[in-house]
Amino acid sequence: MSAHDRVIIKKLPTGVPGLDEILGGGLPEFSFNIVAGAPGSGKTTLAHQIVFANATPERPALYFTILGEPALKMLRYQQQYTFFDQAKLSTAVRFINLSQVVLEKDLDAVLEEIAKQIEKANPGIVVVDSFRTVVRKALGGTTEVELQAFIQRLALLLTSWQATTFLVGEYVEGEIRDNPVFTVSDGLFWLYQTSERSSIVRKLQIMKLRGQASVPGLHTFRITNAGLQAFSRTLGLAGQTRKIPSTRRLSIGIPELDKMLGGGIPEGDSILVAGASGTGKSVLATQFVAEGIRQGDPGVVVVFEERPQEYAERASSFGLDLKTPRREKKLEILYLRPLDLSVDETMHEILAAVRKLGAKRLVIDSLAGFEMALAPGFRADFRESLYRMITALTGIGVTILSTVEVNESFTEFPFSTYSISFLTDDIIRLRYVCIDGKLRKIMVVIKMRGGNHSNDIREYEITSKGVVLTGDCLTDYQGLITGIPKRVGRSGGKEARTHKSKAKTNS
Amino acid sequence: MSLQESRNLAQRLLAYEAAGTEHSAASESAASRVCAKLRGPLITLAGVAGFRSLLSRALTLARAEVPSLSAVQVAADGSLRGLDELVSQTDKEQARDGGAILIAQLVGLLLTFIGEGLTIRLVQDVWPEAAFDGRVSEKRGKLERTR
Repeated sequence: MSAHDRVIIKKLPTGVPGLDEILGGGLPEFSFNIVAGAPGSGKTTLAHQIVFANATPERPALYFTILGEPALKMLRYQQQYTFFDQAKLSTAVRFINLSQVVLEKDLDAVLEEIAKQIEKANPGIVVVDSFRTVVRKALGGTTEVELQAFIQRLALLLTSWQATTFLVGEYVEGEIRDNPVFTVSDGLFWLYQTSERSSIVRKLQIMKLRGQASVPGLHTFRITNAGLQAFSRTLGLAGQTRKIPSTRRLSIGIPELDKMLGGGIPEGDSILVAGASGTGKSVLATQFVAEGIRQGDPGVVVVFEERPQEYAERASSFGLDLKTPRREKKLEILYLRPLDLSVDETMHEILAAVRKLGAKRLVIDSLAGFEMALAPGFRADFRESLYRMITALTGIGVTILSTVEVNESFTEFPFSTYSISFLTDDIIRLRYVCIDGKLRKIMVVIKMRGGNHSNDIREYEITSKGVVLTGDCLTDYQGLITGIPKRVGRSGGKEARTHKSKAKTNS
Repeated sequence: MSLQESRNLAQRLLAYEAAGTEHSAASESAASRVCAKLRGPLITLAGVAGFRSLLSRALTLARAEVPSLSAVQVAADGSLRGLDELVSQTDKEQARDGGAILIAQLVGLLLTFIGEGLTIRLVQDVWPEAAFDGRVSEKRGKLERTR
């Protein structure tokens, strides 16, 4: 059968931002689906969002309520969501209570009543909430075969009448094996809610979806006054075409450091600036993004430890104007502080900002702050998600500078406490050294995946112009990277301590 | 919405129904008819049990103001029993007031639970021929007979 002969399954919008993408484009039209989860997991809200996104007066949505949440209370609460369009009620969205039929009659009567309503209304969407109640009632005097036959007849009826159906129920995962409803269904959406220390973590999984490829795995979602919002674990970047690697080098805004980097940071690289507190990581990052703006590259800065206004103010103290580009929408400073953020949600926010501005440079200041902003339950996923985001963004040519704080040690020279150096192309290490009874600062380029770089260890200062390299390569000392170097040079003056660098290069 | 506003809405519904019976000479009261007309869509929405609970609550609240309503009952199917008999047994004006208060309490409960917007939509569905500007407020809203 050629592709032309195949039936095209229309995909309906869910009305849930992010969920269509997880479903592989939307809800398959005329599918028979189960929305399962524990109480409070968001099943009814999800069903309502789907209903309001699709119902029209011509093809209305029928919402059958059965012994679950009383309809009046459901309306009372659901109308608080912004998607709840009162104008659609009774014309495009109709609520029908089936409690009495379920209580007083048998499955055939339930089916008959549903059929009667469907024939009358010609609905495009049908919801039965809670279907679990129907099944429980039925099990009283019904065999499993009869129950399965009922579900099959129901599925047949709803599909024949060209309705996309959602049976909402409070199920536990152990039931999947034995419950006939899961066998008959085309789609199975499972919602989870767990508490992790003081945070609530909500996730959803498309356990089954006939006819189209959904994104596998658990996806974070959030419920706000706009309803559910889902965050695909692939960040919507799956299958994205990678950009042909660029040969352009980006200036970091510090000419001497650019030289050490072999002419700047290769465009599309991920660079890590590691150092102890106060070594100037954030200043260097600010110089990087400010230089980008100066050269016409829009940028995004993600901060966790200070507010955008404070960040821009601090930049001005180094002569860097971030206020104007912010006003001109060339720079976005994202402040992400809430402690219950999911990692995917945060990544989505960053990606949205990058896309909106067409940013070429992204600063994450800092990775420690980023991790702390996440709900504890999400921290385990941090590195994996960070890896996915960095890979995806650098793949489309965004250059990412991340800062990371390392504990200063006088016996070791750690690059990062995060074990994430594997996902960075380049590493700049900043550190304190004790020379002549003074605490001074040195920097060294540790790694550059894509090219030559200097091996020099350079002293720098943080001045009113930002990070400034003050001399040439420090050659009169041994053990600089330990932080407590020994003088080996014969001359004692500052000039003697540094000499013109013959920048050695690695290839 | 205030109690007064819900009473105004109830009064409009009763006036509308009362005007509709001028030529039909029906024996049932306007309050009975308003109640019966609301019963259908509310049973569809909330089920018989849901409607019965709502009407029983409204009746209890109304009895506190009009004790003679104690003779009125809500039947198992959610219909109202005894209101029309009350009209013949007691002072007509008092019976009318009792009916009005009962409807006002029922409307008030709807407003409390599902809000003004949805209550108005429900009322509009039941009395589609009545022009209505969407607000119940005395200043802005009005329910008028158009026929």
